[in-house]
Amino acid sequence: MVTPDLSVSLGGLRVKNPVMSASGTFGYGVEFTPFYDISRLGAVVVKGLSLAPTPGNPPGRIVETAAGMLNAIGLQNIGVERFVGDVVPRLEDAGATFVANIYGKTLEEYEAVARRLSEVPSLGAIEVNASCPNVREGGMAFGATTGGIAQLTERVRRCTGKTLWVKLSPNVTDIASIAKAAEGSGADAVSLINTIVGMAVDHRTRRPELSNVTGGLSGPAIKPVALRMVWEAAKAVRIPVIGVGGIQNAADALEFLLVGASAVQVGTANFRNPRACVDILVGIEAFFREQRIARLEEYRGGLQREKIP
Amino acid sequence: MPFNRPRFVTGRILRNEGRGEIFYRIEATIPEPVRFVPGQFAMVSGWPGNDPLLPRPLAVFRAGGTRGKGKVEFVYKVVGRGTALLSGLHPGETLSITLPLGRGFDLDREGRTYWLVGGGVGFSSVFPAAVVLGRRRAAFEMFLGARTREHLPPREWTPGGKTPGTIHFCTEDGTAGFHGRVTDAVLERLRRLSPESASRMTILACGPREMLREIAAAAAERSVSAQVALENHMACGFGVCWGCVVSLWDGDRTAYRRVCREGPVFDAREVVW
Repeated sequence: MVTPDLSVSLGGLRVKNPVMSASGTFGYGVEFTPFYDISRLGAVVVKGLSLAPTPGNPPGRIVETAAGMLNAIGLQNIGVERFVGDVVPRLEDAGATFVANIYGKTLEEYEAVARRLSEVPSLGAIEVNASCPNVREGGMAFGATTGGIAQLTERVRRCTGKTLWVKLSPNVTDIASIAKAAEGSGADAVSLINTIVGMAVDHRTRRPELSNVTGGLSGPAIKPVALRMVWEAAKAVRIPVIGVGGIQNAADALEFLLVGASAVQVGTANFRNPRACVDILVGIEAFFREQRIARLEEYRGGLQREKIP
Repeated sequence: MPFNRPRFVTGRILRNEGRGEIFYRIEATIPEPVRFVPGQFAMVSGWPGNDPLLPRPLAVFRAGGTRGKGKVEFVYKVVGRGTALLSGLHPGETLSITLPLGRGFDLDREGRTYWLVGGGVGFSSVFPAAVVLGRRRAAFEMFLGARTREHLPPREWTPGGKTPGTIHFCTEDGTAGFHGRVTDAVLERLRRLSPESASRMTILACGPREMLREIAAAAAERSVSAQVALENHMACGFGVCWGCVVSLWDGDRTAYRRVCREGPVFDAREVVW
């Protein structure tokens, strides 16, 4: 059987397969070149970029929890200028399709970062981070309400001709209405979920485990929540939905595609297996071959609700 | 072919033996020999399932083998669930290993005298330095400290049979060697050091943060150069999670640097203690 066609269009950006890295777990992509050829991925989504370099939160940034981990990195990053100057050429050399995740403390900062990135011809898309739980301003502050997400999406939309994805927070009451607000304001796709706000404390020292006290939960622990939210969002919008949250292997990724995601992002799994993304890609291909599925579209969104007779 | 850039490999356990329930030594075969700099580390896991989720950082203790059949060894102490599960693995079972990671000790300067200081399980990253220095016939002494005799590294693990180095054992309860903290033994020797010897001296240290802090301060006072191997919780080990940062001096300001990437070995003067 011929190689299955895994290509998919993600709101204007056509990718050769649906496996991407999740922002914040893949550095700037180039860190993975010792492990495999990153051009094999549908896209590399880099760590959230702000206008100026950001120092991030004080140490005490991560803690392991049951089948997952909490992080409160606070978006430490090199800033958009250094990304464009130092990293973009290396991503181009690697032949990678890459997407920049952006973040700002204010709407104006989001706009400025988006404008700067729009000048990078090789950039595949911009993913707006409307969902970081670990910074006081920006991030989730915009993503928590339909009004906030609409305003942010609209403002960034006006600054860029790039394909625009909006990354949504799970820390909301109704993900479908948030996704619709992003769609209605010009998003070409939505990606979800970002981390779930959580907390860990030490009963002996009587102290929080994270300097930020609360952090974002990721890993297999959040997969059922992510799957439910992706399913709800995919039913609510016509733009592509990118599934993120706890994906560890090909089966996990396929579940997201089944409930309506057009593609997936792999996050925390990269930490324990630097080859996770490419292993998942190979696993999806093998599954499609085994099931004689020629195209991703044949499988995607095909969740069967009837009982097996 | 031997490799020295990070790889994610599957290892097969050859042995995994405990010493008095304190230290374990695990040896595994890997597809190819790894070349590492003393102080570099690996991310290691091997237990089934998703819980605990993350691999554990372990200093590379020894590595060898031949083309097409590498070997690697780690020493660890059971400190939590991950290392407890690791200690329960048997020969024949597999490990997931990412290695070699981070920046190791700088041993490249000629004509220097080294003091290697290991507190607790910290000996696991200074022993490889002793092996390299011994092979080079460089002058070095080793200071190894523990709470009590049983917590010192087993004698047969200690490199130095044929090496010119001298080893000073220290126990806090006086059950072996110098009666007191290894920090005190080092500080005492530093005080007696001539300025001329001090200028040729490099300290390499790994152990509890308080030990490193005191040694760093005393070394700075005597103008002795010191390299410290830091530990921290980390998720990835290769620079992408940004979870393991520590504060370092960057001119007169401070900046967060990754223990896994810019470290784990830092110049002691760079660290914001």
